[in-house]
Formats: sequence, C-alpha cells, structure tokens
Amino acid sequence: MYEYARMKFYCDEDRCIECNACTIACAEAHELPVGIHRRKVVTLNEGIEGKEFSVSIACMHCTDAPCSQVCPVDCFYIRADGIVLHDKDKCIGCGYCLYACPFGAPQFPRDGAFGIRGVMDKCTMCAGGPAPTFSEKEYQLYGQNRIAEGKVPMCAAVCSTNALIVGDAESVSKIKRERDAAKGKGPMTPYGWDQAYK
Amino acid sequence: MKKLPLFSVISLGFLYAGVVPLVEPNMAPQHPGSRLISPELIEAIPSWHKYGELFLYLQTHWVKLLFLIVLLAVPTVFLLHYLIVGPKIFSHEGRKFLIFPTWQRIIHWIAALGFILLVPSGFFIIYGKYFGGGTPIRFMRYMHDIGAFLFALVVIPMTVMWFKEMLPRLWDIKWMMILGGYLSKEKREIPASKFNAGQKMWYWVAMFGGMVMIITGVMMYFQDFDIALLKKLNLYQIDLLRLAIMIHLGLALLIVAFFFTHLYMSLFAIKGSIESMIDGCKSEDELKHLHSIYYKKIIKEGKDKELAEKCKD
Repeated sequence: MYEYARMKFYCDEDRCIECNACTIACAEAHELPVGIHRRKVVTLNEGIEGKEFSVSIACMHCTDAPCSQVCPVDCFYIRADGIVLHDKDKCIGCGYCLYACPFGAPQFPRDGAFGIRGVMDKCTMCAGGPAPTFSEKEYQLYGQNRIAEGKVPMCAAVCSTNALIVGDAESVSKIKRERDAAKGKGPMTPYGWDQAYK
Repeated sequence: MKKLPLFSVISLGFLYAGVVPLVEPNMAPQHPGSRLISPELIEAIPSWHKYGELFLYLQTHWVKLLFLIVLLAVPTVFLLHYLIVGPKIFSHEGRKFLIFPTWQRIIHWIAALGFILLVPSGFFIIYGKYFGGGTPIRFMRYMHDIGAFLFALVVIPMTVMWFKEMLPRLWDIKWMMILGGYLSKEKREIPASKFNAGQKMWYWVAMFGGMVMIITGVMMYFQDFDIALLKKLNLYQIDLLRLAIMIHLGLALLIVAFFFTHLYMSLFAIKGSIESMIDGCKSEDELKHLHSIYYKKIIKEGKDKELAEKCKD
C-alpha cells in the first residue's frame, strides 16, 4: 500500500514492568503542564497472578487517523513518515478528536479563571509541530523535536526493559517477531488486537 | 524509667512507620476519578466500533451537509413564503392587552440572548475550517459556553412559567390542519389560546431539547467525570462522550430549524409581533385573529379591561 514503512510505537506487554519512566520522561522532556500525560501506563487485571500486565499507550499515529477526519478546523496533518501532528494555533479545543480517537490520546489542559479547556495536546512522537524546527515556539507548544535531532522519542529512549519500541513499522514488527521466536511462542498477536481490529 | 516516654515515642514511631507504605503501590500519575486514563482506556478500545466509528461517519459525511441544508433551506422557504403569501398585518391602533408581564419578558430575553450567542457560534465551530480556525473560532467556542450558561440560567423558570399554557389542546389539531393560517392571506380566527400549536412545538423542542443540549454540553465541557450511572448503562466514559456529541449535533439541527422559524414569525411573518415581547402588549386585532380562544376567554371572564389598563401609557 505504501512504498515506505510508517513510524509506529509498540509496547511489548511481556516486558513492560509498569515503572512509568516513559510517562515521567515524556512529561519532563516536553515540560508538560500538570495533569497532562501524553503517554500513560495502564495495568490490566491488577493483582491476578499470571494475567496482570501493563502496557504503555499514547497516540498510535494511525494510518488513516480518525482525529484528523473529524477535526472541524482541519488542524491535523500526517507527515510522509506517518507521524500524526497537529497545529495548536489552529486548534479550538472542541474535543472532537478525543471522541473519534480509539486510544484516548488527545488531552486538554485546563487553564484560566473558570478552568477553561485549552487546545489539544497529544504525543508528537517527539517530532515537534508545524512551527519552525528547533524554534522557541515549537518547543513551547509541542516540546522537544528529537526526531529532527536524529534521536528516538524520549519514552522509548528511557525504557529500561526495551518494552517500548519505536521506528518504522517493518523494523518494529521484526523485533517483535524475533522476541517471540526466541521465547518459542511463534508469531503472536498482541493482547486485545484480535478484538480491536476484528 | 525516665526514658520510658522517649522509648514509647520511638517505638510508636516505628510501629507507625510500619503502617505507612513507603512506596505507593501504583505510582501511575492518574487522576483519582479519571475514567479516561485508566484500564478502561484499553477495555474501551474494541467498543470504538460501536459509537466511535458512527461518530466518525456522521462527522465526515453528514454533519456539515445537514447543517448547510438547515442554514439554506429554512430561510429559503420563508423567503418564498414572504414573497408569495406575504406577512400578516394587524392594526396596532385601539386597545392593547398585557400578555407577557415584565418578569416573563426578562426571562425570555435572557434565553434569547443565549440563543443569539449559541446558534451562530455553533455554526462557526462546525464550519471552522473555512474560517481558518485559530483564535477567532476559539473565541466562538467561548461564546458558545457563555450562551449556554445564559440559557441554562433561565431554562427551568421558563419551562415552569409557560408549562400550563403549552400543554397540547384539542384545537391544536385544527391549527395543524390549516398550518396556522399562514398559507393564505385571508384574515380569520385561528384556533389558538395564549400560544398556538407552532409556539407549543417550539416550546417543547427548545425547553426539553435545550435541557438535553445543556446536559450533553456539560458532559463534553468536563469530559472526565465520575458517575455511578455509567456502570448501570454498561458504557465506557468515552462512549458516553461520543453519544453526547452525536445527540448534541442531532438535536441542534432540530432546534436551529425551529429557532429560524421563531425568528421569522416574530420579525417578518406577523408585522409588529415582536413588540409583545418588548412592552408585553398585543393589539386587540392581532389577539382576536391569531389567539381567538384566548381572546374569547378574557372577554368572557371580563379581564379585558384590567389587561388593557396595564397597557395604557
């Protein structure tokens, strides 16, 4: 379908130890306001032995991102490498992207006298935004642009168990295949995907 | 034994330290009541196909089109009506009766101001991309919130104050059959009490639809709230938000269509009828024809002198 592989995140739930380093590192690197978590670690079946596992989720940078389709002001744009970004100067904070997003990625900081909802904030895969690369404005609005610096996103960089991997979809799936093969599992579908993408 | 108090303090301190968890079991930076950042987030992913996909479909295919149809078709129909049938003109000479006391007018105008802010700002949000988005459209979103607040202030008093007169009556069927007499130029007695069937429809749509709009709007404003109802409804938080936006947009179509009708009737279709919401008085000629049942009633009860007295100045 595409000539090139698109950038994807993948969190290996066999490896995630719920240390929340990705969440904290992301918040620190991008100086996010309190209450905004671009990346969230969610634990399922907590306390049930053998069934408990954690997964770190953020914007999944969907191929045909629903958020960009419903946005009434067309503030989203999808880069050629598949990273879904948005323009905070255009965004009106209506929340439609949140209603359309399967993963609850869009967040809205609250500010002002009545705790009024601000413009949307979400994971940028550390690729900044439409403002000039490395500019002060880009940093203020979207945080670091590590992709432009040639680095992997902060969350994946700090993941101590290498549970969170990021890169072009082909490389990511290759790593996952090798891991499963090493464990003798054979090719596996990640948890929940058989339901989500039925 | 002097050291006993010190010893007991220290030993109690150790006991206490044993109780306090030195490490929180879950350091996840979650809001305590947040349902959008919780294991529900993952559980809700498969349910995207229920309402998320529906919202995506409606938003991309229908919302802009349907609102455009309402925005263009309703005024076009009224323009044709104005040109072909024309407005109804009643004599404003002679006696006038006080129909709407001051407090009712104040409540009405607060609601009206709310609608004047709500309807255009809503359209600006829907067609935001044609205006470039950004600060002007964000300002419109704030106006939408302010309008909603104004309307929310008076929706309950307004519902209560006209409730009795807005209950459907038998003659409303007759009004519907002749469409309120708006299709002919002929001046005749229209079967209606204080409010006609059209006004009643607008009342029920605006008041109860309006309440639903406020509830869904508040849900979307706060986004993350904790209600026990969710579990009973077997819905995820995000599903509730998706339902809220779809209901909000669907109902908006109906309310906006009725709002345009209300504007047309008061400003153009019945000349001078807006005056009754400014000074509270309706002329005898207008009342006799358009609200014949009400007119007969006040004459029969002998209230006409009293009501006319209040409109003399």
